[in-house]
Amino acid sequence: MIDFLLPSLGADMDRAKLVLWLVAPGDEVHKGQIIAEVETDKATLEVECWNDGVIDELVLAPGPERLPVGTLLARIRPLNGAVVTPAKPEPEPARPEVRPAVPPAPEHREPAPPIRHLAHQLGVDLARVTATGEDGLITREDVQRAAADMAPAGAASAARPRAGAPAGREKRVSPRARALADGLGVDLGSVVGTGPDGLVVARDVEVAAEAGPPVSEAPSAIPAPGVEEPEDKHEAMRRAIARSMSRSKREIPHYYLATHVDLFRAMTWLDERNEDRPITGRVLPAVLLLKATALALRETPDLNGHYLDDRFQPSGAIHLGVAVSLREGGLVAPAIHDADQLDLDEMMAQLRDLVNRARSWRLRSSEMSDPTITVTNLGDRGVETAFPVIIPPQVAIVGFGKVVDMAVVVDGQAVVHPVVHATLAGDHRVTDGHRGGLFLDALDRLLQEPDSL
Amino acid sequence: MNNAQAREVIFQVLGEIAPEVDPSTVDDTIDLTEQLDLDSMDYLNWMLGINAATGIDIPQRDVSQFLTIDGAVGYLVSHSEGQG
Repeated sequence: MIDFLLPSLGADMDRAKLVLWLVAPGDEVHKGQIIAEVETDKATLEVECWNDGVIDELVLAPGPERLPVGTLLARIRPLNGAVVTPAKPEPEPARPEVRPAVPPAPEHREPAPPIRHLAHQLGVDLARVTATGEDGLITREDVQRAAADMAPAGAASAARPRAGAPAGREKRVSPRARALADGLGVDLGSVVGTGPDGLVVARDVEVAAEAGPPVSEAPSAIPAPGVEEPEDKHEAMRRAIARSMSRSKREIPHYYLATHVDLFRAMTWLDERNEDRPITGRVLPAVLLLKATALALRETPDLNGHYLDDRFQPSGAIHLGVAVSLREGGLVAPAIHDADQLDLDEMMAQLRDLVNRARSWRLRSSEMSDPTITVTNLGDRGVETAFPVIIPPQVAIVGFGKVVDMAVVVDGQAVVHPVVHATLAGDHRVTDGHRGGLFLDALDRLLQEPDSL
Repeated sequence: MNNAQAREVIFQVLGEIAPEVDPSTVDDTIDLTEQLDLDSMDYLNWMLGINAATGIDIPQRDVSQFLTIDGAVGYLVSHSEGQG
């Protein structure tokens, strides 16, 4: 039997309401099929199934309870003879195998980011987990078993993340401090730890309680499980953004780099390409920028991945988060999966689909959970340069401004060319400016060869 | 297609992209993208919607005629002639 769990839904989106089942017990389901809808602070998400099988039992009914990531939602019976793959969200079920940019370690395969995320939430040290998946891969079940082994007798279901302030899960907190914080209503995320290795101890919580809640962050943004809180979805989104960005500014030592990229060749090439096509085949300049970003990341893989468990965990696949602003305010940054492998027409189609679904609040869980880097393109609104903030647990974000006509020097002559400001915010825990500079260099070079995109 | 029919299509599609916009407040002579805060994807979606509703292609070289409502209406009226 396969447990179908509420998947990871992206940074700082660790709870969701089950809104709708799209299948019933006895239904045959297939890997990649959308079988449920859940609602988070940021969006209504379609949740995909990761296995072929038959729905044995729908464990939970739709309801207002805000369920933590990892909650058991359904049980799936594998099809006869079907290979049971670990319940590991693979973002692009239909896509052929992704060439890993970083070879896996020989003995111990790197678990997928959602598994690492779960382990992190459950406080499980992956180094001590016994892997039972194929090729020594750590599965979700392995992590849960390890968590259950750790939990004291009589504790809540192993599948549920540890109780306590979710915002505080990123730091080490003594049990007494955690209990005290719960009692005093202190957000552990904002408490500065003064114990060994930054451990938050009870005294730190008392100090924080006296100081009152920080103005930069809504206190206790996530209500306790089971507490229904009627709220406007835009307010909820603002709070989700506040949580994520506050965490970023608190934890990530950003560095910023900027450069001009001459787009004369790229824009001329694109105009010619679009000229002969009907409007339905048109590709926007943003697609060239996204594709060049994805290809440049192949050369600088240490900007592509996640910072989890106090270390950088590179991603073999390049899932490009695209910041999409919503007309009513707020933004989401869902992923274009395996962006480096898409041709321009495919990427245009996916970008259009993604933007349209983001704006109608219809994203899929995998799109929210696994971007490995994000691109923000503020150029449309006339801003020349963007200085974006990294979305944790990612380690870099790329910004593009407006394409403007500027005087540039070509072969000793001043000429007017379309130019874009490209910026990179990087995480100093993982890379330095030199590395970031190589990325921007690669980006520039790729955009001078639009044929290669 | 006459002016009124063209306007109807144009605003119907616009309503799907920017539902909060009150058509009576739109200035027919000013750049729509600035006036209504449309980004390049909204703008393309608007033209794609018009294309789907009317069957009239809007090649790249003619996009500039869709910067304003007046321009778009004129384009649709002139390009629908002879199509029935």
